[in-house]
Amino acid sequence: MSMDFDTIVVGSGITGGWAAKELTEKGLKVLMIERGRMIEHGTDYVTETKAPWDMPFRGEGDAELYAAEYPVQHLNRHFTEFTQNHFVNDKDNPYAVADGTQFSWWRSYQLGGRSLTWGRQSYRWSDYDFGANKADGYGTDWPIRYADIAPWYDHVEDFIGVSGAAEGLPSLPDGKFLPPMALNVVEQHVREAISKKWPDRCLTVGRTANLTEPKEGRAPCQYRSICARGCSYGAYFSTQSSTLPAAQATGRLTVVTDSLVEAVDYDPATKKATGVRVINVKTGQRSSHSARMVFLNASAFNSVHILLRSRSEAFPNGLANSSGVLGTHVMDHASTLSTMAMMPGFEDRTTFGNRPTGVVIPRFRNLDSKDGDFTRGYSFQGGALQSGWTAAKRSAGIGKDYKAETRKTGAWRMVFVGFAESLPRATNRLTLDPAKLDPQGLPMLSIHFEHGDNERRALADAKKEAAAMMEAAGGHVIMGFDQPNPGGTAIHEMGGARMGHDPKTSVLNRWSQSHDISNLFVTDGAQMSSSACQNPSLTYMALTARACDHAVSLMKEGAL
Amino acid sequence: MGQGEKSLSAPSDEWSPARADRRQILGGAAVLGALVGLPVHAWNKVREGQDGGATASEKLLLARLSDLVIPATDTPGAVAAGVPAFVELALRHGLEDTAPETPGRVHMGEDRGGLSVLDGVERELNQLSNSLFLNLPPARQHEVLSAYDADAFTGERKDHPWKKLKGLILTGYYTSEIGGSRELQYELVPGRWDPNLPLAPNNRSWSSDWTAVDFG
Repeated sequence: MSMDFDTIVVGSGITGGWAAKELTEKGLKVLMIERGRMIEHGTDYVTETKAPWDMPFRGEGDAELYAAEYPVQHLNRHFTEFTQNHFVNDKDNPYAVADGTQFSWWRSYQLGGRSLTWGRQSYRWSDYDFGANKADGYGTDWPIRYADIAPWYDHVEDFIGVSGAAEGLPSLPDGKFLPPMALNVVEQHVREAISKKWPDRCLTVGRTANLTEPKEGRAPCQYRSICARGCSYGAYFSTQSSTLPAAQATGRLTVVTDSLVEAVDYDPATKKATGVRVINVKTGQRSSHSARMVFLNASAFNSVHILLRSRSEAFPNGLANSSGVLGTHVMDHASTLSTMAMMPGFEDRTTFGNRPTGVVIPRFRNLDSKDGDFTRGYSFQGGALQSGWTAAKRSAGIGKDYKAETRKTGAWRMVFVGFAESLPRATNRLTLDPAKLDPQGLPMLSIHFEHGDNERRALADAKKEAAAMMEAAGGHVIMGFDQPNPGGTAIHEMGGARMGHDPKTSVLNRWSQSHDISNLFVTDGAQMSSSACQNPSLTYMALTARACDHAVSLMKEGAL
Repeated sequence: MGQGEKSLSAPSDEWSPARADRRQILGGAAVLGALVGLPVHAWNKVREGQDGGATASEKLLLARLSDLVIPATDTPGAVAAGVPAFVELALRHGLEDTAPETPGRVHMGEDRGGLSVLDGVERELNQLSNSLFLNLPPARQHEVLSAYDADAFTGERKDHPWKKLKGLILTGYYTSEIGGSRELQYELVPGRWDPNLPLAPNNRSWSSDWTAVDFG
């Protein structure tokens, strides 16, 4: 049978771009299918250089429009009038939630996907993370350990560029870093105060996929910190700045946009995926593409959604779902503002430039001994900053003196946001809604998700410890929370097609490859068997590169 | 900046109802409307037709309030920076949570949007003045608004309409070119990161420090 392509890659975001790059560089002819619109690097970042006064609503955006058409997306901290064109319209992209579920599903349907809007935090996972399910029995054992993925972390970091400081921490392994961005004067002080009192706790600068040195045609960071508008310097990792040009340079990549993959086609005779069915979202026209292999990189929930939709006689409950666990054990992180403190003593110091990353305090709980009344751990992200003019909104006053006071750089404050590990639970699951259809006429995705008691206990401890660390550094705590924000708000939704040893209890094997269908790979967040408490994107990238390497060797052996 | 700016500037210390221009005469009509018991905007709608935007007297009130919050000093003030027009747009589109109806849902099909917040502020300022706020001399307006503002920020009342309106005046000013780049400093491309510098007592903060603007 003649095939249009060697591989179809569904999705063009963080992992889709990686799959396209790796597979084309290994000689395969690849079709990358993106459901959203084309965004050309640079020329299509239309708000990148705009000032607030260039925007109709001064960067705040049209609240009336947001209430009507972006009620979920506009809650994202990166969603502004400058970036709204990098987020989906909620009205056109509905999803269902189960009774009692609050879930903010923040999405970017466009070439580059969420690689354009991501937070760029890039952390390795450790064996505390890959070994967690086995150790405490939640979820299924990861079929890989750190040694399996370490060389792929190297490979990814080498290519995307991650700035960070090596700290030698077992819970957050060092990577191949570009020079770190410096802590500011207050953060440096807090780092020292914390390590003096708690030698096992380390405040370090956020490891971020922003370049601190030029790299292969990409310019270093300009310290604007407006990344989500798109960066024509190519200073942060996105599909457009990084993996897409590499894949295109091979001459073996075809990209189509505005094309929603309805389903993956399956041939029960060969037990292989044969290609995908596509709907043009602008014209409604349907077409099919065939390939020797399919990679799903549509984002965790969308890859699961495609598999659930790809029902057939052979797989009545969704493709590659002989186990019945497809859609189950989805996770996010349980996050909240653990503490905010005023930081006196630095009134005569300031900074220049906008560093596009904060600070992180890696997990210190329940590592080699259990020292919390919960399992697994949490980490903090945050930073110290000086208030600007918006602080005046909280202050009484009018007239000349008020104006003069508002002119001045404000007081130092510092925040720690806690991210607690989300345990994998069978009840947190994705299904096809039995009644509701999306605008393409396909069954809507339904999300059932709630944070559990373990997450709440972790965040209660996080609040206490965050306040203690601020106070040890001379801070005055003004607020702190211990209840998690709604599901999805960490933007780390993952799982649903988990990896595992056993085809009866997991969807994917240790190579991100379907247990049921050898030429089907799922290498985005859907493959995750646990959530750890650090950002997952770097791990998705490393697992994608590793899966591509394995897939190509299988293909060369004739095994696919 | 061009020469035209001066004529745009609000004459903070010279404003007087006696020196009425055309807009103020319209404001006077509104006063009459108020005296005969018609809501101000209803009176003006009668006079001016119904474009759904702010009435002339509301525009005048917005200009006065903007000028009282951010007057011209060594830099131009809120009126020169076009704040009243921004606040009107912002109210009509429900910014700063000014949309009527339930929170998170903007009342559709009603062009006036959050202009009712302005009406509420006007009513309360008139009550506080025992008179029509707009007719007071500037020094007295400053006193009345100061007292109203102090109450809004220290009192128990939740969801105070003045906090919202003042918030929009501040947004209008500090996101304007005058407010953002002359009153404050603006640098889109800093090009470097200095983590620890001395801060002079008479400094100007950065309107382009997006994190401070969002979370400060």
